[in-house]
Amino acid sequence: MRKNLAIAVASMGLLVSAAPMWAHHAFAAEFDSTKPVKLHGVVTKMEWINPHAWIHVDVKNPDGTVTSWMIEGGSPNTLLRNGFTKNSLPPGTEIVVDGYQSKDESNKMNGRDITFPDGRKLFVGSAGQGSPDNKSEK
Amino acid sequence: MAWVRALLAFALAVIAANAQTPPRTADGQPDLQGVWSNATITPLERPSDLAGKQTLTPEEAAVYEKQVVDRNNVDHRTGNAESDVAPGYNEFWYDRGTKVVGSRRTSLIVDPPDGRIPSLTPESQRRVQEAETWMREHATDGPEGRSLAERCLLWRTAGPPMLPGPYNNFFQILQTREHVVILSEMIHDARVIPLDGSPHLASDIRQWTGDSRGHWEGDVLVVDTTNFSGKYSFRGSDRNLHLIERFTRVSPDTLLYEFTVNDPTAFTKPWTVQIPVTKTKGPVFEYACHEGNYAMADILAGARAAEKRPQK
Repeated sequence: MRKNLAIAVASMGLLVSAAPMWAHHAFAAEFDSTKPVKLHGVVTKMEWINPHAWIHVDVKNPDGTVTSWMIEGGSPNTLLRNGFTKNSLPPGTEIVVDGYQSKDESNKMNGRDITFPDGRKLFVGSAGQGSPDNKSEK
Repeated sequence: MAWVRALLAFALAVIAANAQTPPRTADGQPDLQGVWSNATITPLERPSDLAGKQTLTPEEAAVYEKQVVDRNNVDHRTGNAESDVAPGYNEFWYDRGTKVVGSRRTSLIVDPPDGRIPSLTPESQRRVQEAETWMREHATDGPEGRSLAERCLLWRTAGPPMLPGPYNNFFQILQTREHVVILSEMIHDARVIPLDGSPHLASDIRQWTGDSRGHWEGDVLVVDTTNFSGKYSFRGSDRNLHLIERFTRVSPDTLLYEFTVNDPTAFTKPWTVQIPVTKTKGPVFEYACHEGNYAMADILAGARAAEKRPQK
């Protein structure tokens, strides 16, 4: 029994890796994998829009000037279902963003990973938090 | 003793009827209304390494579910920048569900028994290949070269037919005596299905999502869709797709959604999918995709910028 289970579970590796990864659009068409960016900035606003939310941050440069960046996230609907609100990321919040710059070389990037300066993840959770597996109306 | 048997049979019939009879609308129809979610981690097709294994045991299902959630929750840093860009953002934004379907089947496809989409016909393979080539060659010419999803026109799992996707797997059913409306969160489609016995549109009138007509077979809502234009292809389907969907409220919290794909010019045989759909808490949020679709401009601007750069 244990052996059968082990075999079945081992074979599920493929099943797991086959899980769909796609977002609304092809991020590889928008962002450049040869231009990784890591920035430390202050949130100026968050746009709660579909198909993707955008977080605006200001980054202070070594010479004292400020550069504004836009960071693309996922659909905000899932955040709302998880209890994230418009007040959850107020202007002034410091964040560290790790991602890739847009192919047109404007100051846009994907929010591959977003953390607070102390390393805590800004968006912490698991797949399926808003789905009825965890939140049925019962 | 005959009367005892008759009484017993009557009692059993009443119990069975109560167990299976769904709630009714004011019009007396089975009430399918509410907000539903089809999120599940069970794949549409059975993975090849599970060939011949139709269902998981409860133990296997629990292990599999844990594996999927654990895997999804790690940051997908593989060391390869290209594969790192593809997921776009971290897992929090996804909402694929955390459970396999209640039947613990290894695929949503129940027929053919191998759980796989039947082969495309040679003609269909050629058509799909030509479409892919065209998309590749014109990918950044203008918005028309992008997918219908990227253009905020149609979402590939919103239907008809409906399938689980990576997030926003919610839809709402509304009923009147003569219509059923299915509102999908992705991308924004409200499918209005007449129940009045009216015939399909004339065969020369074609629509991206076809022409749907519904009727009741007992407590089952059957929706018959034809008149597809072929401009939107479901897994290789063409304009001859004849889709039959069945909605059965099998319990207060579960709607059994089934569909059969009949398209003899596209697939070598018909195929059928079963998805238990779960009642969930609303609302279905507005998607308003086009208004915020900054990515379309970014993708095209990226291509124009690349054209201006000196060739290495």
